[in-house]
Amino acid sequence: MKTKIKKKEKKYILLFIIPTLILYTLFIIYPLFSSLALSFYSWPGAGKPTFVGLRNFRMLFVGPFSKELFNAFFHNVYFFILTSLFELGIGFFIAVMLATKIKRISIFKTIIYIPNMIPIILVGFMWSLFLNPQIGFVNQLLRAIGLKNLAKPWLGDPNLALTVIILVNVWRSIGFYVLVLLAAIQNIPLDLIEAAYMDGASNWQLIRKVIFPLTLPTFRTLLILLFIWSFNTFELIYAMVGVQAGPFRSTDVLGTLFYRTAFGGLGSAVVDMGLGAAVTVFIFCIVMPLSILYVVYKEKRESER
Amino acid sequence: MLLCLYAFNVFMPFLMMIFNSFKTVRDLFLYPFSFPLRPETNNFIEAWKRARLANGYKNSLIVSLSTLVSVIALTSMFAYAISKHEFCLRRLLFSYIMLGLALPARLAVVPLFLLLNSLGLTDTLFGLIILFTAINLPFSIFILKNFMDTIPNELIEAAKIDGGSPFQIYRKIILPLCKPAISIVGIVTFVNVWNDFFFPLIFINDKSKAPVTLGISIFFGEYGNEWPLLFAALTLAMMPSLVLYAFLSRQLIAGMTQGAIK
Repeated sequence: MKTKIKKKEKKYILLFIIPTLILYTLFIIYPLFSSLALSFYSWPGAGKPTFVGLRNFRMLFVGPFSKELFNAFFHNVYFFILTSLFELGIGFFIAVMLATKIKRISIFKTIIYIPNMIPIILVGFMWSLFLNPQIGFVNQLLRAIGLKNLAKPWLGDPNLALTVIILVNVWRSIGFYVLVLLAAIQNIPLDLIEAAYMDGASNWQLIRKVIFPLTLPTFRTLLILLFIWSFNTFELIYAMVGVQAGPFRSTDVLGTLFYRTAFGGLGSAVVDMGLGAAVTVFIFCIVMPLSILYVVYKEKRESER
Repeated sequence: MLLCLYAFNVFMPFLMMIFNSFKTVRDLFLYPFSFPLRPETNNFIEAWKRARLANGYKNSLIVSLSTLVSVIALTSMFAYAISKHEFCLRRLLFSYIMLGLALPARLAVVPLFLLLNSLGLTDTLFGLIILFTAINLPFSIFILKNFMDTIPNELIEAAKIDGGSPFQIYRKIILPLCKPAISIVGIVTFVNVWNDFFFPLIFINDKSKAPVTLGISIFFGEYGNEWPLLFAALTLAMMPSLVLYAFLSRQLIAGMTQGAIK
């Protein structure tokens, strides 16, 4: 039975609610709408913003920026696909291994999450040093084991750079996915697994026909998160190749494109906050539907508890 | 069969750790794999000074802790009000806040910059704190409200009969009971704020106000080719995160995966 509100209580409740509401509305809700509004203006930093209607969007989608925009967009897509494959694919298998009852397995659990703890920007810098063609251990290792031809300028090659960055991302983030998948796997009732073994299932069959289907809902949630994060990626690219997203924009993503257009940097043709806002509107439209889906899932699950 | 693959599992973070220790070598070219014969501890001292790490730590700590405290204070009150009191806007308010979970704050960074600018808060730690607090409100409210919903109302009824004001009830009953949820929120918020780079990048220009993440980035820009120093600085910068993890790994993992597990 819930309590009814008395007048004095009402005052307290208002006190409890209002500061949070103000902060939230002012710094989260308002800026998002303002961003949308701003995307219809042109504002090169100095002076006042001028209304330009849909010009920003035209410039982005069919005008001079469209090449860069879609280049970045497809890089984000590539990022998402590759990251999902590796992090969920390899992650799943690691999770399965961790779910077995081998002694002291939990040590690995702790270990695999370590890279997740380090700020992404530091991970990026660290690997940019490791991948340095001269002093980085990657190339030195390759040379040492005789694969000299493979010792390339990893971040300097337009064809390799993005993939390499994605691999670093996998290195850093896989722990999260492993742990979530592990929890999902451990939720499977033991009787099911025992029954499967008694029916003569091999390990591989067990994974394919029992574990994997039962963890599919978790995959779904993780994919959504991965999608959102893939389109928001920025720090890693910044740390490893800089905001210019070299070489030759081969690692450009929407995040770096946005930063260049809104705040500038060497070699960006235009610095226009309105244009930058338009880029964020674009990202927003891509990410928002899935974000909402995610929150809806979360709510549903909480209410099922 | 599976055992050999565990080696790789361990390989990854250890790779990070082993090779971080390279930092003390002057001639990385000559001794790529072995631990240095004459460890150059001077690198650490140099890096500490030049990367302004003391400053960076101080700033990161101030921002992270302040955000943590504000978030917990504000959201616990808000969650308590929403969870335990009936009024018509209750559900609406909650959904309103949940909207924030889906909205990535980064996308609004241009208006945020303009907003903080007009308030005179760009390039200040206080501005960062306010910003990070706002960003972390929805998640915290989500966790706390759901947790509070499980607190039996009888306890609160009893306290009310004993004549407690809502504020007293909040302080003496709700807060102690919510410790597990609060610790999750605290840890997640702290780590997220400490690790952030994007917002400090945009809002902070004064090097003396840079948190560690931004500080290292600046350092890398300034000392591009002095590898030993760079490695040393990275090691030092990563230390707090690793130490924190060493002490709180269980809670950390629990907190960070909250978003995806049930």
